[in-house]
Amino acid sequence: MNRALFRAMFKEYRKKVAAISTGIILYEGLLTWVYPVIAKNPAVSEVAESMPSTVKTVFGIPENARIDTFEAYISGQFFARIWVMLMALYGIQTANALLAKMVDDGSLALLMSTPVSRSELLSTQTGVLISTNAILVTATIVGLYFGTFCSGIEINYSRYLSLGLLGVAFFSLIEIYSLFFSAWFVEEERALTYAAGLTLAFYGLDIVGGLSDKLFWLKNLSLFQWFQPQEVLEGTTDPTCTIIGLSVASAVLWYLTKNVFETQDLAL
Amino acid sequence: MIKVKDLTKVYREGRGIRNISFQVDPGTAFGFLGPNGAGKTTTIRLLMGFLKPDSGRVTINELDCWREKTEVKKIVSYLPGELHFIENLTGLDFLDLIAGMHCDYFRIKKHREYFVNALELDLKVSIRKMSKGMKQKLGIISALMLDASVLILDEPTSGLDPLMQKVFIDLILKEKKKGKTIFMSSHQFAEIEHTCEHVGIIREGKLIAVQSISELREAEYQTFEIEVESEEDAELLKSSELDLTSIQGECYVIRVAGELDRLWLALAQVRVKRFRQRSLELEEAFMDFYR
Repeated sequence: MNRALFRAMFKEYRKKVAAISTGIILYEGLLTWVYPVIAKNPAVSEVAESMPSTVKTVFGIPENARIDTFEAYISGQFFARIWVMLMALYGIQTANALLAKMVDDGSLALLMSTPVSRSELLSTQTGVLISTNAILVTATIVGLYFGTFCSGIEINYSRYLSLGLLGVAFFSLIEIYSLFFSAWFVEEERALTYAAGLTLAFYGLDIVGGLSDKLFWLKNLSLFQWFQPQEVLEGTTDPTCTIIGLSVASAVLWYLTKNVFETQDLAL
Repeated sequence: MIKVKDLTKVYREGRGIRNISFQVDPGTAFGFLGPNGAGKTTTIRLLMGFLKPDSGRVTINELDCWREKTEVKKIVSYLPGELHFIENLTGLDFLDLIAGMHCDYFRIKKHREYFVNALELDLKVSIRKMSKGMKQKLGIISALMLDASVLILDEPTSGLDPLMQKVFIDLILKEKKKGKTIFMSSHQFAEIEHTCEHVGIIREGKLIAVQSISELREAEYQTFEIEVESEEDAELLKSSELDLTSIQGECYVIRVAGELDRLWLALAQVRVKRFRQRSLELEEAFMDFYR
């Protein structure tokens, strides 16, 4: 990793990361502020219980999960859909901007004219990607800690930390395959289309797979089966193996990306 | 030394370069000329290790430009034809970045002040707010501050005003005196003429000529502008078998190689309203290769 390049690229994205982090923290603040009011209202529980399972699936609520806890609330309202899409889209867009876009607009030419090898350049861009990912996840978890503390909501801090680690591993994999498409196509539009298309396909499979028992097998084809926030927050799943598996997959995919990028023709 | 031997790179759509061979001796400057789409930038991309050759070899100081691309870049400074920067940086941030990526920050920082002053660039301005000319100056500074032994420059004076073009030529001549090897692609005949010993002309992917500037000067044409009195005089002039190009009405440009006897004999038969010799331009000799 090249330190000078890392600093410059990080500086390029710090405002964006700060803005997204602020947005996440404010939204969490709103959710945690509203929750105590909702929790006291019995009508809310009745509405939640009356929801068909297909609707619950759309909101990312597992089949037999509880719906009357803060974990259920925050998963359904935030982690399972909004946060996961926000982070995935950030990862795809940033991965593309750090590689394919820079090849397309020629800004990589001057950087590649230096004696920094392609693999070192790629590892630096990956470092920027994963570190900004980690900052956003940290902001999310810390924001939630603060919000729940202020609203007097009791949570199991270690489970939220586990969810954070799972989030870093999960979104890193999305970012790495986006980087792979960037290295393979070295064209901004095509790389973005394939990365976003694949992610949306996984997302769609996860939703459709939950709509009916007959279609449940579709969930096994989706990457999103490995990101089930409510199960992690309720302690019904230990994400350690999943975190390790996602990290290994990211590492393998990154190695493939490096090999592709090192031999790619770049029309700079 | 830059050595290019039977270099071929053909893109999917059929464009590219085929069997290009030339050599740039150490301490000399080589100009690379050609029309748009001829293959100049492709050749430079191969020199910089951005593209892998289909066949042939290109080396700089015996280092293979594709297989040893990282080593090559330790001794090469590059100025791309189209400059794109990371826009949120200032000029100073960008130069610090390039110096940092060369892992020789302090030496390069000391060396760059001379070029910053010569080109009169305010480094505190954000790149986003810089004009094309300012960005070009920034690119030139980033190339020259490295003090590399080989300079590869693609259209280096594009966007510079005439005064800065002259400053640039002076800087390049100073770099040459230090023994640097320079490879420069350009559309500007003047900068090639003033800085290079040899020129290569590429057209439709093939290197059609490599000549020394001094040889080209010897083969130069002399060019005259003539206006005759009437159409009859114009017809007489056309029948004289001189190399005649009509400009407008009875005005013609006449190109003569070598002795001028034929010109005087032809002009003696017509009534000349106006006669002017054009400045000797190397461009006229180059244009033969374009036609």
